[in-house]
Amino acid sequence: MRRRLGVPITAALAVLLLDVCPHTAVHAAGDPQGAVQPDQTLAIVVNQSNPVANLTLQELRTVFLGERSHWPNGRRITLVMLEPGQPERKAILREIYRMNENDFSRHFLQGLFTGEVFVSPKTLATPVGVRKFVFNVPGAIGYVRASDVDESVKVIRVDGHLPEDKDYGLRLQPHAVK
Amino acid sequence: MSSFAKHVVRGGASGSLPLVDRFLYEVSRYSSTLLLLMVFSVETGVVIFVIRDMRAADNEVQRMYVGSVLGLRSIGGLQYDAQETRRSTLYALTTNDSNLQVEYADQSRAADRRVTDGISDYLAHARAPREIDLGRRLQDDWHAYLKVRDEVLASILEGSNKEAVDYDLTGGVPSFDRVRQDLEEIKRLYDEQASQRLAIVDASSRRSTGRLVGVLCFTLLFASVSIWVIQRSKMLSALKLAKLQMDFVASVSHELRTPLAVISASAQNIADGVVEEKEQLAKYGAVIRNHTRQLTELVNQILLFASTREGRIHYILRPLKVEQIFESVLRNTREVVQEAGFTVESSIEAGLPGIVGDASALSQCLQNLLGNAVKYGGSHRRIHLRAFLYKSDDPRAEEIRISVEDRGIGIDSSDLPHIFEPFYRSPAVAAAQIHGTGLGLPLAKSIAQAMGGRITVVSKIGVGSVFILHLPVLKKGSWQTEALGPDLLTRQ
Repeated sequence: MRRRLGVPITAALAVLLLDVCPHTAVHAAGDPQGAVQPDQTLAIVVNQSNPVANLTLQELRTVFLGERSHWPNGRRITLVMLEPGQPERKAILREIYRMNENDFSRHFLQGLFTGEVFVSPKTLATPVGVRKFVFNVPGAIGYVRASDVDESVKVIRVDGHLPEDKDYGLRLQPHAVK
Repeated sequence: MSSFAKHVVRGGASGSLPLVDRFLYEVSRYSSTLLLLMVFSVETGVVIFVIRDMRAADNEVQRMYVGSVLGLRSIGGLQYDAQETRRSTLYALTTNDSNLQVEYADQSRAADRRVTDGISDYLAHARAPREIDLGRRLQDDWHAYLKVRDEVLASILEGSNKEAVDYDLTGGVPSFDRVRQDLEEIKRLYDEQASQRLAIVDASSRRSTGRLVGVLCFTLLFASVSIWVIQRSKMLSALKLAKLQMDFVASVSHELRTPLAVISASAQNIADGVVEEKEQLAKYGAVIRNHTRQLTELVNQILLFASTREGRIHYILRPLKVEQIFESVLRNTREVVQEAGFTVESSIEAGLPGIVGDASALSQCLQNLLGNAVKYGGSHRRIHLRAFLYKSDDPRAEEIRISVEDRGIGIDSSDLPHIFEPFYRSPAVAAAQIHGTGLGLPLAKSIAQAMGGRITVVSKIGVGSVFILHLPVLKKGSWQTEALGPDLLTRQ
């Protein structure tokens, strides 16, 4: 009888934990050794025709800040961002831009006005939209969770690492994982 | 047969070819119903064949026609989807919302996939060189347009609308125009094919109508000929029967008149006192007795034949020994044989098994055969009556054969097929003034068949004839005489 009551209580606690802190909970429950979960990492995606396969975090920052206008193959760079408030966008602002939303907006308004920034980011509502945009635009670069990646886009390495690698730096909740 | 056929041709079918009447005579031996059934079967077979042929041709043509219509419909679909591809691409120009632009891009790509699949399908089904060339050209032009479309879409999504419009005007419009022309050309090709197939349908329909009319005419002609054949064969049968009956009446009249005249003359002489001596009286008495017996026999034959034809005769079957039958036959024919100066040599194989039959009928059957042997036995005046067992590897084929053999005038080969027909008398026999009714052999045959047997004949002109009566062997245990009594079975 005691054993029968124990199962629903454990399940209820697990649901509660998931509701409060879903990503941390899943990571903690499913990955005790600290292995990378695809829905916890951000993949930087480009068009399949883009020859670039690896970027350093610094190069990535340059691209995302709009300070670089073209890819080595001559294609114009187009930045794709998710709408404000989404966890992926928050992670990018934190890990690459190292800015908040206001600083981000100011950077682009000012940069476009002064001519220091060559690229105005495109904003899409969903990761699927991001993926489709990147698929249609040869010079596009964007980000989605690693679990949202499919064969229509190409994932590039950041500092030589892919999202599934242990040392990959772009994570949704870097502190929680550590 | 031949003499009769000649006679019939002369008497009833003046102007017709003898061969035709010979054929019709053969036909007349079968019933009209059977002939009609045969004709109907042939007609039905021909009609079914023609209908199947027509339906197969029509189905094929309809299938071809439907193929053209479906092809036209699918080309219509391709035209629409190609327009949709371009339309959706250009719709993306109307908004700055990247989400909407992605949706338009999606729509454009979905439409272009349908077009690409449609072109592949067209190429997969293309058979004629012109179709294949056209399909390949369309495929190339479509791919060329898609390259431009991709650039236009990319430019729109990047936000470079001017660039997108430039791309479209310089590359998109001409390449899409080529695609449109290709599709129009394919449509024209389908139109042409549809027209050709319609013409084929029309020709096939006319051909089918022609065939149908042909079959109807053939049917009408065949039916008319069949009716003519049936009518003519019936008429020939009637003529033959009438001729036989006339011959029979003439023959019977003659057969009746001759003994009656002799009896009458003899009786008159006795009545007039012309004959007084005892020896002469005895001689006259014998003449009257013989001719009376001859008359009685003739009347009996006629009555028996009539009974056989009407099915009024009932045979009483029982196990018999051949010796019993021989004894009866020889006893009943002794006087006739002796008067004619003939000798009958009879022999029965030792250990011959019994038979099953009606003793009286079998005796009558053999008497008829023996009487014929006397009548047509010629100058040799010796008749052999034999009974023996015919053995075979197959026990079921074993039978008892009773042969009546004479060395007389023989039977012409043309007469042989007809000697068992009622009233038939060979013209040669009639010409030789040999009296007869033409009923003896038919009666014998009828009796043999009623006993489960048959009669065969081998004869050669000037050499003689052998008539063989074939009878089934009485098997041991198959006939329980003691249990069932003497009268065991009646057979009509």
